[in-house]
Amino acid sequence: MNKKIKKNFCILLISFLTLIFIYNQNLFRKAYNVTKLTYENRISQASGFCSEDSVGYLVYLKKKFNFNFNPAVYNYEDSVPNSNWPIYDNNLKNNSNHKILLNYPEQIELVFYPKENNFYTEKTISFGEGLSEIYFDLKVPSMNINSNLVIYTKSYGTNEKEIIYNKPFNELVKNHQRIKFPYNTLKVNSVIYKTIFLDIKNLEKNKINNIKIVIKNQFDINELEILDSYNRQCYYVK
Amino acid sequence: MIEIFYIITQILFILSIFFLPTLLVDENYYSRSLKFTFIDKLSINLIFFINILFFASILNVKLNYILYGYFFLIIILSFINLKKINFSKIKIDYLFLLLFLFIFLISIDIADQIYFSWDAKTNWIFKTLNFYQGQKIEDLSQFNFTDYPHLGSYLWSFFWKFPHGTHEYLGRIFFVFIYLLSIISFSNCLRVNVFEKVIFSILLISLSYSYAIFSGLQDVLIFSAILFFARISYLIFDKKNNLGDFALVLILIGIINILCWFKNEGVFYSFFLLFSLIAAYKFSKICKLYLILGSASIFLLRVFLFNYYNVDLNPSYFEMEKTIYLDFSLILYKLKTITLYIIIYLTQSPTYVISLPILVYLIYKYSVKNLIRFILYFFIFNFIFIYLTYMFKMTEVELLIKASMSRVIFQTSGLYFLAIIIYINNYIKLFKR
Repeated sequence: MNKKIKKNFCILLISFLTLIFIYNQNLFRKAYNVTKLTYENRISQASGFCSEDSVGYLVYLKKKFNFNFNPAVYNYEDSVPNSNWPIYDNNLKNNSNHKILLNYPEQIELVFYPKENNFYTEKTISFGEGLSEIYFDLKVPSMNINSNLVIYTKSYGTNEKEIIYNKPFNELVKNHQRIKFPYNTLKVNSVIYKTIFLDIKNLEKNKINNIKIVIKNQFDINELEILDSYNRQCYYVK
Repeated sequence: MIEIFYIITQILFILSIFFLPTLLVDENYYSRSLKFTFIDKLSINLIFFINILFFASILNVKLNYILYGYFFLIIILSFINLKKINFSKIKIDYLFLLLFLFIFLISIDIADQIYFSWDAKTNWIFKTLNFYQGQKIEDLSQFNFTDYPHLGSYLWSFFWKFPHGTHEYLGRIFFVFIYLLSIISFSNCLRVNVFEKVIFSILLISLSYSYAIFSGLQDVLIFSAILFFARISYLIFDKKNNLGDFALVLILIGIINILCWFKNEGVFYSFFLLFSLIAAYKFSKICKLYLILGSASIFLLRVFLFNYYNVDLNPSYFEMEKTIYLDFSLILYKLKTITLYIIIYLTQSPTYVISLPILVYLIYKYSVKNLIRFILYFFIFNFIFIYLTYMFKMTEVELLIKASMSRVIFQTSGLYFLAIIIYINNYIKLFKR
């Protein structure tokens, strides 16, 4: 009898623990999703249709165009690896004339915020070709700047600088006034562990909210033939 | 609904691969040396099957041929041994039912969440695609991270391709099978009835499971291989078993081989496990020789294959030259950072929160011998390894720690479950007296 009670108690406990596991992992809801939503819908929900990894858009393109080559994929999303796995086929040749641009921005912009002796941005850039414009968000109507403007990256946890731009900057700057700033360099493309800093000596930082730099895009959508697009953010072009 | 059908048939396909060979082996074959449970037999089949797949991968045998060959062999052997197969002897194994149930539950989670983690979408999936799309091992050189081993991806591609060849996540269900089988097999170390083992298994699964470990990463394979190693080590230390150890040594060598080919750190873990076991257990001279020679052959094979395919280790992992120029302030900074994050991640991991205090208690209460010595040696090696891994990195140490340390800590956490096993078994022993 004792053994039977013990066995029943164990079975009860096993059922209880299993139910807790199911409840904690929300498995009833997930089972419902698996039965009701298609694979494409679920993967779009998990990795974004035209956001984050944009796996949904890649799967959609693969279905629609049935590629017989591997188009080049460029994802502009910040801090997301550039991955083309949903459409990649080892048996096909790469064709970089056909491009898929994911999360394509109207304008690539770096916003530098004041920090101790300089300005910094945590954003990373992947497909920039150089600097284009600069403008200041000021607390005052205007201010005069006569100094060198230095933009550099620094690896996380080190003091080794890599200079992106270092030239004199002598301008009377008005609030939100866009100043042409053309300079071609691929060094502006940064990675997650390399913060970009901006330094202007003898600057009254307390008068500045932030400094914005517009980056020249490597791919100008107006110069490419659009074969498919979604929401003005994801494009298939050649 | 069709995907539920895919999931169930995928599970049945996986189970049939490992279940069918157990019918062919005579019970007496095992009882001559020691009693393996049904789950143990599945584990042993798994270890040998993965080794077969590994050799098939380096010999560029096509995935279809492996499957056909395997089933053909089983069918032939079944016909030869038809008289020995006694279906009436097959009993319900509750641990097997648990295995089936939890594979299904976790598969549902994977089918729903589906996303890849960073390393999976930049590295592992491309290795998997390589094999899935019928390419050879040498074709891996066109991808990034050529020095990362391929075995996990090869397994993924095999079970993605068979039986359905539709969605990639079906291949990841095999990782779930390995993970659950390792935990359930490990629970057999407990000297309790089967229902209590089931309870213990569910608790271990609840402690260690999260979707992230199946998001295409290979760390769970290391975790499971170490857990299998822990189970076999337990059998070796178990006084009740008076076998010549050779069968177990062979299984250990099989585990060491797959550990070395799941991830690069697996080579170090293999060495630590091997050294800790040899130092803690008095093997016969011949067994020690087999173990050392077997492991040395595995390490040499790895070196040979890396040289053959011109694979160099990525120098950015370890910046030893810079580290050798001693900068004490930097070393102190790194030591401080690593220690801080080790404490943070250990306290965040329920398995360590439970098993490490028990290990300390066991060391205090009993003398450091046998299994406790084995765990302790591995613990020391493991933590020296973690420190050295991050000490040799000059830049982005903190960032690297944040990105990887929780996974590194998870990989080896299974071995410390042994402390819980020793504690419970000793408690039961006292209780029975």
